[in-house]
Amino acid sequence: MEEDTSSPIRRVSSRTRKVASKMAAALASSDNRAQAALARLEALENDNAGMEMQETNEDDEASLDDDDQVYMQKKMSKSMKRKTRQAKALENARKAPRTFIELLHEANLESLPPHVPSYLKAAVGPPSSTSRRHFCTVCGSAANYTCIRCGIRFCSCRCQNIHNDTRCLKFVA
Amino acid sequence: MQTNVVVLDNGGGLIKAGLGGERDPSTIIPNCLYRPLSSKKWLHPSPTSSDDPTDLTSAAVRRPIDRGYLINPDLQRDIWAHLFSSLLHITPAQSSLLLTEPLFAIPSIQRATDELVFEDFNFSALYVADSPSLVHLYEASRRPTGIVSKAQCSVVVDCGFSFTHAAPVFQNFTINYAAKRIDLGGKALTNFLKELVSYRSVNVMDETFLMDDVKEKLCFVSLDVPRDLRIAKKYGKDNLFRCTYVLPDGVEHTKGFVKDPAEAQRYLTLTDGDFPAQVGTNKDLDQLQVTEKREDRKRVDLTKNEFELSNERFLVPEMIFHPADLGMNQAGLAECIVRAVNSCHPHLHPVLYESIILTGGSTLFPRFAERIERELRPLVPDCYRVNITSQEDPILGVWRGGSLLASSPDFEAMCVTKAEYEELGSARCRRRFFH
Ligand SMILES: [Zn+2]
Ligand SMILES: [Zn+2]
Repeated sequence: MEEDTSSPIRRVSSRTRKVASKMAAALASSDNRAQAALARLEALENDNAGMEMQETNEDDEASLDDDDQVYMQKKMSKSMKRKTRQAKALENARKAPRTFIELLHEANLESLPPHVPSYLKAAVGPPSSTSRRHFCTVCGSAANYTCIRCGIRFCSCRCQNIHNDTRCLKFVA
Repeated sequence: MQTNVVVLDNGGGLIKAGLGGERDPSTIIPNCLYRPLSSKKWLHPSPTSSDDPTDLTSAAVRRPIDRGYLINPDLQRDIWAHLFSSLLHITPAQSSLLLTEPLFAIPSIQRATDELVFEDFNFSALYVADSPSLVHLYEASRRPTGIVSKAQCSVVVDCGFSFTHAAPVFQNFTINYAAKRIDLGGKALTNFLKELVSYRSVNVMDETFLMDDVKEKLCFVSLDVPRDLRIAKKYGKDNLFRCTYVLPDGVEHTKGFVKDPAEAQRYLTLTDGDFPAQVGTNKDLDQLQVTEKREDRKRVDLTKNEFELSNERFLVPEMIFHPADLGMNQAGLAECIVRAVNSCHPHLHPVLYESIILTGGSTLFPRFAERIERELRPLVPDCYRVNITSQEDPILGVWRGGSLLASSPDFEAMCVTKAEYEELGSARCRRRFFH
């Protein structure tokens, strides 16, 4: 009731809901907070396509406009035999898009000799200073307090109250 | 038969494409398909230069690139087919391709890329380039008497859509064993901004296009975070950062916009060491804020579909400088540059620090270069100069370098032809590109 949760322009997001319930479960236990933090970092690389991926894969070709359609057909008839629907479906399943992390795992870069530069070795590595600044999740100011229930940071009594009233254990990301 | 060279900077966010030898790419399109709420089909986005009135509110997005690398060749094929036939109007079989690829692409991704180029599109020849060497080439040619050109080396800091790299370049080759990467780029920043705004005022988690616009128009880099956090707490006119962004209503306007552009520019009046007006104690400040918040509530009419930003404007780009604040176990940009330089031969250190080049869309945040210089100076030995060059157009810099290379007389000899690919296969052809 305070603040914004009843805002008329709040939009519905399937992705938000799904992630949020996972988050809430994770945040409730301090053991899982580290995992929740990782999930949150992971979410920073998301697109808002998530949920629909499966259902839409089959109509890939439908997305092309006429120009391209002609182009693609020319190309296909030239370079490969026309495939049956079934064969194509099979191939699609085999070639279903995988995440970069999956491809990276398959590449098994850990097995490369130490002098070979690789994606893994190029990571900048941890900061030399371990100090982490904390910002209030409610207002963004420097935050010195931690919620004992969910571990999220806040800066003042005022923000703590807002947090307790409307946001505790409700992670939006 | 004259073959032309198609120069394709295939970014995770934007595709920059055109013909080698020209100054600028002839087309720039988002590297994605999108599906507006009103549509059942996935659509090709219009070039960024066009004034397309499509309502992108809550549009879903599919990208062929994840964390900078091509993971969905089928989707990329769709996008390229549209690009080549409807936008560039070229015939791949009669063209060579200069394609950018991020550093450290794994072999399966390189293979998928080669298949696309030679088997799906039938290009007659391919050269794969990495962005740092192209940016270096372009900057060296722009200033033939400058340090980049004379010393033949530079550190290219590329802060793009998917990630950030600091990569030393020596004699036009990227020293890949010295390149360092931070796993943060413009995409993560936009998502972080979405998180903050959704958490604090209105749910924009599905508004990728809208929040990109907010980020590009309103975010900037702080030169003094504690000071700016205090200013952001102030009320009324003393808060130099507060501004309002109006959401599209789907009726009068399909795009969002900054409500009062003059108000949004007020932060520029803040110069170094400035601290406008006197600050009360923290307690005063908190009380003032409470009263002010109440007034705000009366003033901001939520049915008007708008939201306010204040400290979010600088806390978002801040993450590039301090990923640890997000809980990431990675060093910030200044340390990233130092580590890249330190991985090179000590003889190169002084010249490298003197020729740092900033490129990539995320370096467009106002005061980005100033901040990086400020953080870098104390980390670099006093006897070395630190000199940072911002590219004239950091989104086009890589493409322009590619265009230059494509028009050089050696270019043809550097390419792998379709016949060579068919004979040798992907892996052996790739060795040609010194990756
Ligand atoms: Zn607070
Ligand atoms: Zn809590």
